[in-house]
Amino acid sequence: MERLAGGDRASFHPVFAALWPLLRRFAARHLRPEEAEDAAQEALVKIFFRAAGFDPSRSALAWALGIAAFEIRTARRRRQRRREVSPPDGFPAAAGDAAPTPESEAIARDLEAMLEEALGVLRPEDAETLRLYARGNRSEVAAATFRKRVERAIARLRTVWRTTDGRP
Amino acid sequence: MDDRETGLKERARRAYERGRLAGAARRSVLLLPVLGAASLCCPSPGAIVAGGAGLFAVVTFCLWRGQEFRLGVRPGLVAGFVPLLLPILVQAIGHACAPGRCLLFPAVCGLGGLAGGVALGILAPHPREGRGIPFVTACLIAALAGSVGCVLYGLFGLGVMGLGLLLGAGPILAARRA
Repeated sequence: MERLAGGDRASFHPVFAALWPLLRRFAARHLRPEEAEDAAQEALVKIFFRAAGFDPSRSALAWALGIAAFEIRTARRRRQRRREVSPPDGFPAAAGDAAPTPESEAIARDLEAMLEEALGVLRPEDAETLRLYARGNRSEVAAATFRKRVERAIARLRTVWRTTDGRP
Repeated sequence: MDDRETGLKERARRAYERGRLAGAARRSVLLLPVLGAASLCCPSPGAIVAGGAGLFAVVTFCLWRGQEFRLGVRPGLVAGFVPLLLPILVQAIGHACAPGRCLLFPAVCGLGGLAGGVALGILAPHPREGRGIPFVTACLIAALAGSVGCVLYGLFGLGVMGLGLLLGAGPILAARRA
C-alpha cells in the first residue's frame, strides 16, 4: 500500500489481490449476501481512490477496514431507509406480480382504510404531501424541500400509527 | 479471474488514477497565489499566465505520476521560487524602470537565478538517481518557476536567469559528482 501511495503502479495488482477477498469476507460477515458484494466493491473503489493519500505510518489493514466499515454502515442505513419507506407485507404493492388472493385483497382494503383514517388525523398539508408522494407526483416546491416534507409527514404518520396501533 | 472481477479491477484502477490526479491538483493549487501575485505585477500578464500554466501542469503531472517524477518537485520549486519571488519583490517595492531598459532588472534575475542555482545544486537529486528523471524534473520545474518571475523583464531577463541557474548549480553538481 505504501508503494501504491508513492505511485508504483506495479503494486496495484498485488494490493487488489490481497484486499478484494478480505473486503468480501469482511462485508459478508456484517451484511446480507446481496448487499455485501456491493458494499465490498464500493469500499474497494474508495480505498483505491484514496490510496494516494495513505499515511505510511498507519496500519494499511486498519485503514482499509475502516473505509470498509463505513461502507457497511452506509449499506445498513440504506437498508433501514428502504424498510421504512416500503409498504408493509400483504400490501398490494409488495405482493409482486402474483394475482392477489381474496384474503390478501381484504387485508389490503383494511390497511388502506386504516391508512386513510390515519391520514385524516394528520394535518391536511401532511396528508396531501403523502398522497402526492404515493402517486409519484410532487408539489410545486424544490425537490429537497419536498423530500423534507415527506420525511416529516412520514414521521408524523408513524407517530399516529403507533399511538393508535393502526386503529384510529 | 472472471469478467465481473476484471471489471471491478478496471474500476478500481480508474479510481486510483482519479484519486492521484485529484490529490496532485489539490497540492498544485497552492502555486496559484504566487502565480497570481506575479501576474498582478506584470504590465502584460499573458506570458506569466502561459508560464504559470506550464508550471502548474508540470507540477501536477509529476505529483500524479509519483515515484521518480515526484522526487524532483520539491527541490525544483525551492530553487525556482528564488528567481520567481525576487523580481516580484523588486517590482512591488516600486523600482520605476520600463521593462527591458533598466539594468537593475536583469541583475535581479541573474542574482535570483544564481541563488536558485545554488539551491538546485544542493537540493537536486543526483543526476544518476532514478534514470536521471528526478534531476531533470527538478531542473525543469526550477527553470519554469524562475521564468515566471523573470519574464517580467522580457527575454533578456529570462536568459540572465537561466545563466544564473547554470552558474549557480554547475560547480556544486560537479563537486557532488566528483
